[in-house]
Amino acid sequence: MKRIFVDYKKCLACKACETACAVEHHPARSLPAALGDRKTQVNVRVLGIEHESFPLSCRHCDPADCLNACPSGAISRDAESGAILLDAAMCKACAMCAMVCPFDAISFKVTHRSCYNRDVAYKCDLCNERIKAGGKPACVEACHSGALVYADYEADRPGRASRSLRTYLLGAEGLPPRFELFRELRRKEFARRQGGA
Amino acid sequence: MKVVTVGTGMAAAEFVQRLRRDGFGGEVVMCSDEEFAPYSPCVIPFYLAGEPLDTVYWKGKDFYGRYGVQARLSDPVVEVDAERRLVRTAAGRSESYDRLFYAAGARSWYPRPEWLETRGVFGFKTLSDMVAIDRYIREHDVRRAVVFGGGFIGVDAALALWHRGLDITLVHRNTRVLSQMTDEEGGQFATRKLAQKTGIRFRLKTTVGEIAASDGQLKAVQFSDGSTVETSLLIVSIGVSPNSEPLRGDDKGVPGDPQMLAESGIYTAGDVAVTRHAITGATGIYATYPNAMQQARTAARHLLHGDGAFGGSINTNVLKKHIDFPIVSAGSFSGEAVTWQQGDIWRRVYLQDGMINGYIIIGDTRISGYIYQLYLSRKRVDRTIREILSSPRHDSYYRGMLGLAMPLAA
Repeated sequence: MKRIFVDYKKCLACKACETACAVEHHPARSLPAALGDRKTQVNVRVLGIEHESFPLSCRHCDPADCLNACPSGAISRDAESGAILLDAAMCKACAMCAMVCPFDAISFKVTHRSCYNRDVAYKCDLCNERIKAGGKPACVEACHSGALVYADYEADRPGRASRSLRTYLLGAEGLPPRFELFRELRRKEFARRQGGA
Repeated sequence: MKVVTVGTGMAAAEFVQRLRRDGFGGEVVMCSDEEFAPYSPCVIPFYLAGEPLDTVYWKGKDFYGRYGVQARLSDPVVEVDAERRLVRTAAGRSESYDRLFYAAGARSWYPRPEWLETRGVFGFKTLSDMVAIDRYIREHDVRRAVVFGGGFIGVDAALALWHRGLDITLVHRNTRVLSQMTDEEGGQFATRKLAQKTGIRFRLKTTVGEIAASDGQLKAVQFSDGSTVETSLLIVSIGVSPNSEPLRGDDKGVPGDPQMLAESGIYTAGDVAVTRHAITGATGIYATYPNAMQQARTAARHLLHGDGAFGGSINTNVLKKHIDFPIVSAGSFSGEAVTWQQGDIWRRVYLQDGMINGYIIIGDTRISGYIYQLYLSRKRVDRTIREILSSPRHDSYYRGMLGLAMPLAA
């Protein structure tokens, strides 16, 4: 089974992942329709933390605390892809899932999937239909810098817990020089704005 | 082997589903005093708020057929004869078993049971309650309701009926609603905000003293301070008691061992089961869905494979119903309090020996999962917790992972 891995040092915070996700999950499948639509659902969020950035989304844990906490039968796991899926028609937005999610990856709002004119929980669905048809998640496909990677996940890696973000981090192999340069510039710019050295 | 469940609630449904999933081919009988397929008590107030009845059947309306269950419905089990291995029902039927799963749940507790004989007075616990309240509201064109009791179920009831458009007065003995889930200050904050956001009138330090009826029909409710409110609907939700009498002879719950065995051949789980808290070790009834589910899985595994143990219950809970204003809490509210508040958000963590002893997070679910994991993992957080609570972008978990120091709290 595959998962989305993050090489955050390569993330340029361009938000192409957010845009692609919004379009992919919008009923009109178009950027102009998704823009300015309050019901537009974006399942990945680029977190800016000082000079670093991080595309944050559901990690589809196994076992998944949200799945074990959902009392309304709204959360399930796709047996084939392993994706944790959320059925908005069953969701009561009771927040039991969000209360236990280690990654803060579940949010609430009125989306196009809301059935009863109220907020529902929403989160990354791993683009389940796309990946089952042999494709990649929309965010991964949109990522120009290689910060998001869709790759095989060995669930039984010893000493690695699925609930730790470290499991999903890449980047041990070092960065190409142009990324190092970009990061150095960004670090300096951040320091300058902070009024530091 | 023949398995019988007393109860068709969430624990029993999870238990049976697990047995079948793991290949159990024996006879399964499920007994209930109600007439329905297994439903989610967490979801049923949404039916009253106007959402479809079918969504309460969290494992599907066709549960009994799909899992090969003989359902014995609308007939409560009144006695468990452990010696002869059979259960007896109120209608006089008996059912033998090889293994019993005792998950009879809990029922509303009424200070004056005779009030229920008056039309317009209801409990708020079962799907039968919801269906009856819904029919009553429609038939009598009810516009106003009084909810007596401001615990989780009472607030849930008030919000569901408020969402339906009724004018609500909630009467509660304590100084704040949700007094078990909150401490004094947090509870008062939550009560104030809920009142502002909904217009529900909260009458605190007050109880319902008497009801007034004419021809068996509720007309008004009198409060302990002597004032009265005209209403044709009173919800009584001041407490619950476990349905443990048929097995134990009293209503103090059913103690389960680490395999969720109450006695030889009899498992227990859910809102009737007495278990140990995973962190504090204190025994009690921890009536939330995640506990019931883990207990049921432990029992199913032990029945089939003879191994496994329950890791303990956690008293974590969240109330976020019909309104986007969550109230999250877990643990014990004692120790050193660290508090942060801004606008509608109020967060407090209680520290003991540098670890989280309990917490309350109101107005926002962000960071609640991170705090929950820190609570469970027993990590020392005394040096970082102030920054975690106040971090303006709620990003402390990711900061930690990226190796970035926390900014100093303002």
